[in-house]
Amino acid sequence: MRPFEYSDETISEKELLIALPSMLIASGVLSLPKLLAMYTVAADGWIPLFVSGITNLIMAACVARFTMQFAGQPFYSYASKLVTRPVAWFFTMAFCGLFVAIAALEVREIADISKSYLFHRTPVEVIALSFLLVVVYAVCGSRAGILRLNLLFLPIILFIFILLLSLDIKFIEMKNLLPMFQTDMKDYMRAMPAGIGSYSWFGIIWFYIALIKKPKKLGRKVAKVMCIPIVVYLLFYVACIGVFGNMVTANMIYPVVELAKEAELPGGIFERFESVFFVVWLMAIFNTTAMAFDIAVYALNSLFRKVDKHKFVFTLAPVIFLIAFIPQNTESVRSYDSVLNYFALSFSLFLLLLFVTVQKTKGVKGNG
Amino acid sequence: MHSNIMKNVQHVTERKQLPENPKQLLHTIFLEIISATDVKIAKTIDDLFNDLLYGNTIFLLDGVDMVLNINTAGWEGRQIEEPITEGVIRGPREGFVENLLTNMMLVRRHIRDPNLRFDKHSIGKRSKKYMIVSYVEGIVHPELLQEIKRRLQTIDMDDAPDTGYIEEWLQDSFLSPFPQITNTERPDKVSSALLQGKVAILLDGTPFVLIAPATFGNALQSPEDYYERFVIATFIRLLRYLAAFIAIFMPALYIALLSYQPGMLPTNLTISIAAAREGVPFPPFVEAIMMVITMELLREAGARLPKTIGQTIGIVGGLVIGDAAVSAGIVSPVMVVIIALNAVASFAIPEYSLGISFRIILLGFMIAAGLLGIYGIILAYIMVNIHIVNLKSVGVPYSAPFGPFFKGDWNDLVMRAPLQTINRRPVYMQTKDDKSGNKGE
Repeated sequence: MRPFEYSDETISEKELLIALPSMLIASGVLSLPKLLAMYTVAADGWIPLFVSGITNLIMAACVARFTMQFAGQPFYSYASKLVTRPVAWFFTMAFCGLFVAIAALEVREIADISKSYLFHRTPVEVIALSFLLVVVYAVCGSRAGILRLNLLFLPIILFIFILLLSLDIKFIEMKNLLPMFQTDMKDYMRAMPAGIGSYSWFGIIWFYIALIKKPKKLGRKVAKVMCIPIVVYLLFYVACIGVFGNMVTANMIYPVVELAKEAELPGGIFERFESVFFVVWLMAIFNTTAMAFDIAVYALNSLFRKVDKHKFVFTLAPVIFLIAFIPQNTESVRSYDSVLNYFALSFSLFLLLLFVTVQKTKGVKGNG
Repeated sequence: MHSNIMKNVQHVTERKQLPENPKQLLHTIFLEIISATDVKIAKTIDDLFNDLLYGNTIFLLDGVDMVLNINTAGWEGRQIEEPITEGVIRGPREGFVENLLTNMMLVRRHIRDPNLRFDKHSIGKRSKKYMIVSYVEGIVHPELLQEIKRRLQTIDMDDAPDTGYIEEWLQDSFLSPFPQITNTERPDKVSSALLQGKVAILLDGTPFVLIAPATFGNALQSPEDYYERFVIATFIRLLRYLAAFIAIFMPALYIALLSYQPGMLPTNLTISIAAAREGVPFPPFVEAIMMVITMELLREAGARLPKTIGQTIGIVGGLVIGDAAVSAGIVSPVMVVIIALNAVASFAIPEYSLGISFRIILLGFMIAAGLLGIYGIILAYIMVNIHIVNLKSVGVPYSAPFGPFFKGDWNDLVMRAPLQTINRRPVYMQTKDDKSGNKGE
């Protein structure tokens, strides 16, 4: 007989594993093909995308493997065991800042895309605010609840992804994809940031590991689920180039949404499929935002244990809203995005290296 | 009472030699003379009060500090009839009645397991009604049972005329529109729930029995799903999920598509809707709200009226909604189609209490659509989902087995696999004995 564990605030491995692709599939992918197409020839962008995907996959698996030994402990507590308390405090704050920034970015992207595809008169602020309020509602609820939402939404998101691809497959022209391997090394390197960017938010593992009781072989499992976003990104990219060609893709703002515009539902129930697609994609973006916000709150909460969670939620929400509207135009949103991604990746890498070295030298033991 | 106690006592005292000692006399009477079933010896007045008021006979003998408490309670009751709220085409037609003993018998007839338990509790400070907590020992999770009993003990009120009173005391979130505890009139539903490791609560004086915990998936299942073959049952279940979708979204989509995103519909359809709306003085939101409220009024009036007059409501309603309102130019014919479809869909939800909550949620969705169009609908949908994943029914997540994902339970969720393959009790119930020959029955 098993106790009723699952109804508490702990989660099973499954929920963490679903959380990863849910976190990574967000608004970034909608503009991703454009960024890659800007620097590469034909469909060559898949190489940087794939390489950075694999890099991030390995990184995520390493982080999972490392944190696994501290399962059940909050980031702050195991970090203070490894490096000292003040340093751990600083790292936690940095994570909090990072995830607040990610949430803000998503809120901004939602507002921008909705403005260009759904509403024309409604002010962006109203769109962003209503979205943020729903996120606040989610974060005020239980943490396990947010992770369960992923389970409810991810299948719908993957379904619309497959539907979109199958509707668009007849528009793909092979000549758009060829010739291959024509891009030179320098341009590959220039396209790399766009590739890396979209994957680097796997940092949620650092925190959500605290909710799991006894993970087993987490590294391998994480590596498996990291394949989902890689496949989604690659297929979206190839479909965009195949349908529009390299030049056109490079000049669109959100090529994936445009891809949905091309699609036609058989039976003609909906004329404009892109609205349907975007509305469903909104769930994906919501999941990412909610998790990012939740981790920011979680980080603060692990530092100040006595303060009520809701207080953090209501202080951070206006901050997120304000940060979201700092970038003036799409260009600056994009550079904000890439700075964030670089930081997310390098911070995780740095922490991993630091922690592993410290553990080796000091011999700190995990849960065993 | 007369034939079993009085006659016997009179008869015997006339003939037989009886012991002189009053204590022995009482024992003789207890063991040999009274032929009623369920006779107990009581010593204090507290033991007696409740039973005397329930209709028992108390036998007192001079000189003894004990009395006999004889169960002679009996009263007129309704016959066992077909349940009104949950009809099935194929399956048992018996429904619970107001008599607690009959109800226990009905459950017992389905489960002849010695481990089936009926724990008697008394409820209501003044009414002192009997309430039975029923479960199958060895299947039910002890913590779940403990939690339900703990909550039952907190109940503090004068009287509980229906299990609805108990439901409100037991439920986890009182703000939620969703029914967190199932109520049913069907003994077969109760017995199958008991075998799944759930707990049933029977109350004297009402045919409605509570089943806890409840999940969202349960609310879209009907006992009939197991009586029909699995292909048909699966098809009907899918149809119900579609019905739930229509019941919640249809009018909201109408508002959103007409006022915000007319481009999303095929051009011809947009034109014909616009042509049909020619002359309608209200924006789609006002039009839809008016119609939904009219529909609710008709529903409510239909439920309250006596059956013979009830049909008039149907005719009047059909005329008012269907024809007159359209020809008067207040609403468009498309709106009528949508509202009718929506009403039919909400009637297709097997559980009445979920049907009502869908009606409330529908209004929320319509307001969201009126404010932000299709974007508002999806935000409202996300909010409902957030609410559901945070909701618990007696400690069990309401969204299980969708939310906390249990692969083993998917053979009996959206689809209903062949009964041979459903050989485990629901995983989300964490039952003590998880193998069942047959989960469905």
